[in-house]
Amino acid sequence: MISLVMAVIGLLVALTIFLLIRRDILNVRHGLGWLMAAGLFTCLGFAPSFIDHISVYFGINYPPALALTLTVIALILKLLIMDIERSRTEIRVQRLTQRLAMLEAKAAPPNTPNSQETNDP
Amino acid sequence: MSNQDVHSFAVVIPALNEEGTIAPIIESIRRFSNAAIYVVDDNSDDRTAEMARHAGATVLPLTKRLGAWGAMQTGLRLALREGHRLVVTMDADGQHDPAEIDSLIEPILMDEADVCIGTWPARASWARQMAWHLLRRTSGIGVQDLTSGFRAYGYKSLQLLVRWPATLLSYQDVGVLAMLTKDNLTLVSIETPMRPRTNGHSRIFETWTHVIIYMLQSLILGLSKRPLTMAGHRLNTKRWEKS
Repeated sequence: MISLVMAVIGLLVALTIFLLIRRDILNVRHGLGWLMAAGLFTCLGFAPSFIDHISVYFGINYPPALALTLTVIALILKLLIMDIERSRTEIRVQRLTQRLAMLEAKAAPPNTPNSQETNDP
Repeated sequence: MSNQDVHSFAVVIPALNEEGTIAPIIESIRRFSNAAIYVVDDNSDDRTAEMARHAGATVLPLTKRLGAWGAMQTGLRLALREGHRLVVTMDADGQHDPAEIDSLIEPILMDEADVCIGTWPARASWARQMAWHLLRRTSGIGVQDLTSGFRAYGYKSLQLLVRWPATLLSYQDVGVLAMLTKDNLTLVSIETPMRPRTNGHSRIFETWTHVIIYMLQSLILGLSKRPLTMAGHRLNTKRWEKS
């Protein structure tokens, strides 16, 4: 029963991701990873013996522990990638803010006190 | 130093809510040099930008608060873009004396250094002295007053500091200094008397929470950027005596 629930959750997540992409709420670049994760959940739900086989191969007595560990690792990696992307976005926003300030400084009419023309070397 | 050299540098002042001090500082700089003055208004709530503009500075108004280093880098970018090969940075709170600018740029004009840092360790409380000591030990950077904003940057250092990787930094101390020494640039420090703050307070040492976050970030940054051999940093940092 739990396997079936897992498969249904996977399908629901996949459907939600499709809807978010369709409504331009989620970038397809990010949606791809989520769809792959949802697909994996669905597959494991329909074929639960797969994780049992892998657990036996690695000598793990309790197969769900392997599934949970892999899920936690995947989530941590995803969070790390998100923070890396957030750092890049912050840099882009900061550079743009700086560029805007530079353009605004130079856009002041030459006869206003804002002009620095006479002091430039 | 030649007349041409004296007139070819720019002064960058990042300012946040400094309407009471910014105009006198600009006027004071004007008395000592004919340098181009860029005031970067870090999205102030008061009339800092207006006061600076009326005093004759070029004002760069930031639409989002970027912090002291983000604002500073904005000024450095414009100064470099406008052809300045030497930039002096100052705080907007009246601590730094424009009369010391000549001493500050001297090592760079004499090609003895890429960056000159004005230091006045006596200004710091024992807690701040301890913080500096800890940061020096972990980062390996041999500059006495790590947080001083009174600096002169030469052309090579300016080219380095306007790049994208420098935008990721939050503060102008450990991260910036580590970046400079990693590229084998020469840092010198020179003693320049500083006055007590006439307005506001340090953005870093504003509250204990700020101090803890700043210290943890700086310690991690210093350790991660530390050279594998101690010789790396020490060779590039020395003290300069005024002529």
